[in-house]
Amino acid sequence: MYKKTAKKAIADPILQSALSGLQGRLGPATASLYKNQPEGPDLRAKAHAYRRKAVDNLDIMLVTLAEKIRQNGGEVHFAATASDAVAICLDIAEKNNVKHVVKGKSMVTEEIGLNRALMDKGIEVNETDLGEYIIQLAGEKPSHIVAPAIHKTRKEVGQLFTEKLGTPYTDDPPTLTWDARQALRKKFMAADMGVSGCNLACAETGHITTVSNEGNIRMATTLPRVHVAFMGMERIAANLEEHQAILRLMSMGAAAQQIGGYVSYIGGPAAPDHADGPASFHLVILDNGRSRILADEEFREMLCCIRCGACLNVCPVYGKIGGHAYGSAYTGPVGAVVTPLLGGINEASNLCQGETLCGACRVACPLELNLPRMLLALRAKLSEGDSRWDVKPKSRPEKMLFQIWSRVNCNRKFYDILLKLGRLIQKTMPSSNKMIRRLPWPFSGWTRSRDMKPLAEKTFMELWKKNQGGKF
Amino acid sequence: MEKESGRKILMDPEKQFINTIRTALGRPGNQPPATLFTTSPSQEEKILLEKINTRTHQERDALIEQLRQTVPSLHMDLHLEASIEETARAIGRLIIEKEPEWGTSKSVVCWDHPLINQLKLSEIAELRQIPIHNTKFDGKDPQRKKEIRSQVEASFIGITSADYCIAATATLAMKTRPGHARSVSLVPSIHVAVVREKQLLADLRELYTLLKWDEAEQKEGLTCNLTLISGPSKTGDIELVMVHGAHGPRELHLFIITEAELSD
Repeated sequence: MYKKTAKKAIADPILQSALSGLQGRLGPATASLYKNQPEGPDLRAKAHAYRRKAVDNLDIMLVTLAEKIRQNGGEVHFAATASDAVAICLDIAEKNNVKHVVKGKSMVTEEIGLNRALMDKGIEVNETDLGEYIIQLAGEKPSHIVAPAIHKTRKEVGQLFTEKLGTPYTDDPPTLTWDARQALRKKFMAADMGVSGCNLACAETGHITTVSNEGNIRMATTLPRVHVAFMGMERIAANLEEHQAILRLMSMGAAAQQIGGYVSYIGGPAAPDHADGPASFHLVILDNGRSRILADEEFREMLCCIRCGACLNVCPVYGKIGGHAYGSAYTGPVGAVVTPLLGGINEASNLCQGETLCGACRVACPLELNLPRMLLALRAKLSEGDSRWDVKPKSRPEKMLFQIWSRVNCNRKFYDILLKLGRLIQKTMPSSNKMIRRLPWPFSGWTRSRDMKPLAEKTFMELWKKNQGGKF
Repeated sequence: MEKESGRKILMDPEKQFINTIRTALGRPGNQPPATLFTTSPSQEEKILLEKINTRTHQERDALIEQLRQTVPSLHMDLHLEASIEETARAIGRLIIEKEPEWGTSKSVVCWDHPLINQLKLSEIAELRQIPIHNTKFDGKDPQRKKEIRSQVEASFIGITSADYCIAATATLAMKTRPGHARSVSLVPSIHVAVVREKQLLADLRELYTLLKWDEAEQKEGLTCNLTLISGPSKTGDIELVMVHGAHGPRELHLFIITEAELSD
């Protein structure tokens, strides 16, 4: 599936230009923001430490958060699995007689498949982030964490709106945005429940934070009478000063902004004497496999991730294959690590093997998370197997081949013999421009999409011996 | 309650959830550090607080200059007015000039806030035909709450103040309080915010230092909804073309009253 979707994406010239446009704009803009912070260049390293501290003390963080929110009249629910989280939400919807839901963009609700479950109960669900709304109308999946409809052209959006909203066709983005504004405004006004995610909670003050530029999350969390927020259990900072540093870095990573257009700290329902705001507030805190990541020192660092999408904007692989090949709500380098960890390493093995380990994601990450290290660790699990992660070793022949290779490498004489043999055999291979075009089985996979440089006439050691007599 | 012959029997999901985390973290062996939460400001933060509290009129002029440079990139309109009366007249002109986005009739909604009330917009002769609503609410009459909602929905301009305005990022910080309906800065097509010069801060760090350590701020807390607004609503979701007015206001007019000494 990964390979097939990736191939399709690479062959799509419109998607290719959208992806390179996105990366060309956001990647460098984010990088230049990092350099100009009042706290100096080590803000990112500090923020990494803040996140790590919160994750290392997650029990205390969550207990503190829940206590404060309850003090303020909010309700807090703990969901061990995706189905628990969905059940909690359906229960809230039923008790409050909810018919219409408006949603702010939330990757966690994608992860647990909330929309489907609500719609199966006959509840109308409308995504309200413009990008999410477009793909909801089109019946597709988001292809970027921050810009979910990046794979759609303005013409496609125009046709979609004409078909689904009945608006006159246009490919003018401002007019299309206005069409969606008009359609969704009615939904906001009619909704009785708003669903949001949580970018980052603050334990000390007892608030969740939501960030948007469109204002859709503010709409969804201000107008309906019930607000249900979903939060991956790791998305929390200990105190306000640490929270603000991480939040600002997240805005830089996500959209090259100093701070998102609308940031809301939500700590509970509106008070009885407030003129507006939801009368009830529920926070659903989700585990769904995160505690297993927490328990493994090798991958705990991944729980520090704040899903800003900065790594997508620099990744050479994402830049070519787009988001759909990753097959989950989490795309790009972050998806390549998180999807296997949440959904099964064997099942998502293509993801971590598809990345290049070039390190661009680590450089772009606002928290300097070492994604390449974790991609390698996942590959090691695939090769060796790991019962704790229910990983079966992926390919025994491959492992055997490398065992043979390591033997050969340890025996100079045998190595030299094979080298000479190789030089003879390679002359029989089809080649052009001094490159080997095709290798025979079982090496044919290597040359399926690339040419191979032939073995040199003489090795470095041979040349050295010949020209320098083996001396410096 | 605990494990019984290797099988977990029914336990409070919350306790079980936290226990799973504790096990993953290697508790109780692995104890938390003493410095998880902060209880007193750092030296740096103390200096910053002092700096904010002793800021002179001249220093604030520099902040206005900084703000002037920030607003264009955020698609905001900055208006500097010398007095409340001039601010009221300028807002009056804006109400006359601008056209409503939905429908044809004009109405305006304002926070019930001392500064906004002082504008006395309903006393401006030119605005006599235009309903100026106010979100005053005492929490008693649910009918009144519905009325506020429909007035906010019908209004094309919403007028609020803010707790602070941050020069470096043109950010308005608003806690939620009775009378300060959140939807006034969100639902109408045009958001007008009025602050006094003394409410200006240099950057976000100053804001957070105040929110965290200033005595009055600490006492009030962040409230159940603290919102930071930097510019009107915008989106780039169709081919990354920036469009203003996605769901929230399409325009944001920031009025700063610059009079040096106030007599109120």
